[in-house]
Amino acid sequence: MRRSSITRRDFLKVASAAPLAGAFIPALKAGTPAAPDEKVRVVLVRDPSPLGPGGAPPAEVVQKMLDDAVCALLGEKDAVRAWKSIIRPEDVVGIKTNAWRYIPTTVEVEQAIKRRVMDAGVAEDNIAIDDRGVLRNPVFQRATALVNARPFRTHHWSGVGSLIKNYIMFVPSPPAYHGDTCADLATLWNLPMVKGKTRLNVLVMFTPLFHGVGPHHYSKEYTWEYKGLIVSRDPVAADVTGLRVLQAKRREHFGDDRPFQMTPHHVFLADTRHHLGVSDINKIELVKLGWPDGALI
Amino acid sequence: MTAPEDKDAKALSSLIPRTIGPWLSEADEVFDAETIFDYINGSGEVYRSYNMRLVLARRFHKDGKPDIVVDLFDMGSSEDAFGVFTHDLDGEDAKIGQGSTYKGGLLSFWKDRYFGSVYAEEETPETKGLVLELGRQIAAAIPREGSKPSLLSALPPEGLDAKLVRFFHNHLVLNYHFFVADTNILLLDQTTDAVLALYGGPKDGARLLLVDYGDTAKAGAARDSFSGAYMPESPEKGIVRTEDGKWAAVRTAGSVVAVVFDAGSETQAAAVLDEAAAAWMKGRSPK
Repeated sequence: MRRSSITRRDFLKVASAAPLAGAFIPALKAGTPAAPDEKVRVVLVRDPSPLGPGGAPPAEVVQKMLDDAVCALLGEKDAVRAWKSIIRPEDVVGIKTNAWRYIPTTVEVEQAIKRRVMDAGVAEDNIAIDDRGVLRNPVFQRATALVNARPFRTHHWSGVGSLIKNYIMFVPSPPAYHGDTCADLATLWNLPMVKGKTRLNVLVMFTPLFHGVGPHHYSKEYTWEYKGLIVSRDPVAADVTGLRVLQAKRREHFGDDRPFQMTPHHVFLADTRHHLGVSDINKIELVKLGWPDGALI
Repeated sequence: MTAPEDKDAKALSSLIPRTIGPWLSEADEVFDAETIFDYINGSGEVYRSYNMRLVLARRFHKDGKPDIVVDLFDMGSSEDAFGVFTHDLDGEDAKIGQGSTYKGGLLSFWKDRYFGSVYAEEETPETKGLVLELGRQIAAAIPREGSKPSLLSALPPEGLDAKLVRFFHNHLVLNYHFFVADTNILLLDQTTDAVLALYGGPKDGARLLLVDYGDTAKAGAARDSFSGAYMPESPEKGIVRTEDGKWAAVRTAGSVVAVVFDAGSETQAAAVLDEAAAAWMKGRSPK
């Protein structure tokens, strides 16, 4: 009998989560790349500056990273012009951050976003930065635009803490979305407070967590200084790009293609089941800016 | 959050020292199965899957030094305390409580119905010593030892990697340790007890899964569900050679379904199941 490295256990996985196979094992993807005009742009920007005690580069470096990324994303030379193409002066803007104790979005990223939202003409009173209090926050309650910014990390139940997942605080009972290891998190993006409002997604990759341990799913041992931001209009494409980085880091650290502790299938189902964005890496245009060393992808 | 003055919370609190070396503790936080997500987000599902009752969190602080966090869980039963401990067995044996591991500043241990986690936010020689000392003091304050799940007694001893035995209830945790299928083809739920054991090395060894469904009819239905999905070419026979040349087999023994994955031969698969089934039934027979 000819022995195969693909067993029925693989089939029972792939049969229900086919997009995973394409993203995690690109060499096995047999499909023809999509036409260039169908591609979704994702920008990865990195800078080698030392990180401060809060885990971010200096504020002026973060501002430049964000500006460069937004310009490249939107095809503009001037950052303020670029922001004005996605934010109107009359917008009420909620900056959805993430306050996880061990790896937060960081104040530097929050303030860099806020500054450019104000540069786009939005009054400071019409801007709020919040995570766990979004449902009670009066600015978020009347928001017409959202900017979604969070750190990327492995997550004990959803596989990864993703941009898609960052909107979990828009529901009063997050555990209601934990079924099948958070498979349908993308439905959060249909909530009235959220639907159609997201103008930009910023995945913070300064010190990503690539493996978790213990009740808090955190150990500094499993973080590294990647010093990057991933920016896109498409949360799914940005998350998939982040996943490629984490997967490469796990391969480098563990010496094999170790699967995530829980499957991050919500990222792929956000595309295939919920049509929130693009998860096929053949349909993603990755623009890389800045520091190239150790980019991993 | 549950009130720290709750009787059960007070009992948990009494097991943890107030200071450790020059580190002083901050105010306690107490969470139950409904509020645990306020504290540890998605990881709470793991503790809920083991029927957790309460967790008391106490943070120890000293200016200029890394914080140390104690999370002491009341799991309601020693079986579930053992089970949640087996969820993550990475690390060296710290010889604390009835079982423990230490790695990278994180100590995990279980004793009686309690599971403890002691974590230094940065590992230094000093914090490692304090983490282990906290664990020892907490374990010493727990007056009794508890029993492990009875299913463990049905595991054939020969070739068993005793350090990698997992106990759990549902299929999501099974898949965490050893992926079988996205869908719940073994019909596991919060009422089923399951043990997963490794025979041989982690890359090429065989896995033995024992699931106690509580009654023979449920076990039969689970066996049929599994064999129909996993070995459709011979569901009645209950044994199949898989694509990688190894063997998988399934059998019922009373209320238990036993499954072996990745056995090196048909003979090995059958022998492991025979022995496990006999051990389980022997344990159930009148004395």
